[in-house]
Amino acid sequence: MIKLCDDDKRQLIETGDNRNVFLEGNIIKLIDAQDDESFKKYLLDAKKQDIENRKKRLEVTKQVQIQNRELITSQEENENLMIDLKEAVKKADEAKDAALTDLDLIQKKTQFELIGKIVQVALWIIVGVGVFTTLLFMFAMFTNRDLTIIGNTWSNLFGILLTNSFSIIGTIMGVKYASEGNGGKI
Amino acid sequence: MINSILLVDDENLFHLVFEDACSLLDITLDLQSITSSDEAARLFEQWKTDSKGKPECVFVDLNIIGSSFDGIELIQKINYEYGNGVVVGIISSSADHEEIDKSLHAGAQFWIVKSDDIEPRLEAFREDYEGYKNRTAPFKVYK
Repeated sequence: MIKLCDDDKRQLIETGDNRNVFLEGNIIKLIDAQDDESFKKYLLDAKKQDIENRKKRLEVTKQVQIQNRELITSQEENENLMIDLKEAVKKADEAKDAALTDLDLIQKKTQFELIGKIVQVALWIIVGVGVFTTLLFMFAMFTNRDLTIIGNTWSNLFGILLTNSFSIIGTIMGVKYASEGNGGKI
Repeated sequence: MINSILLVDDENLFHLVFEDACSLLDITLDLQSITSSDEAARLFEQWKTDSKGKPECVFVDLNIIGSSFDGIELIQKINYEYGNGVVVGIISSSADHEEIDKSLHAGAQFWIVKSDDIEPRLEAFREDYEGYKNRTAPFKVYK
């Protein structure tokens, strides 16, 4: 135990009484009052004040600890939310890409279906006209009619039909080539 | 009263809590707080040759962030590398049974669960302390 001289004790007691400044911390527990009643009272007051201060500090520290913990928890929650958000954005982007691809495919399909129908109709017309003029020409031949006009007409018509059919096929091939070159967009 | 305590915990705020709680409960007058197990290992290495300042009791946090090894490894080192002779245990917010078993195997004598209300646990620990010092008290978890 620490023993203080009378002068030190008196100064400490005076400082406590006049300025409300006391010894603090564990050192108080190590000072011997040496049967000095006034110094014993001083040490008790100092200890009491130290306990009060420590209690206050302990409460504040605990509150700060709790707040820190809450902050850490909310930070973790925010980080998790950010991760979820990033994943959601990524998924949305993927879905958008998939939708665009699907749309592109549908457009291409529709275009090809349309082209197919045009080709079909054009070919049917060509074949129909060809068959009709051929039958007309054959009819004229078998019924001994004058074939000069109808023969020339037939050959001209057949030539035109062939030219047109090749032109149609050429156009279709061109369209197909162009659409492939533009990534499926015309 | 415990002569001297060493607290190894990375959380500086808990140092203040522990210091105030120890003072209020008259657990010890001599408390040293450090933040890493590496520093603790260095101190114990020193105390192998010069025991001046060697604590009587060591409280070790389970997860000491920023250190090379955790609390259980530190206890193992204290018990098997640096020579026994101190009361040593874990002070952690975790109460994981697996970790508690590991600490017991490493030579921990107690496990105190950290919480906002640490004082009753420290008080109970103080009551059992003599048993730990004499190596007669069994391993105990203060929840």
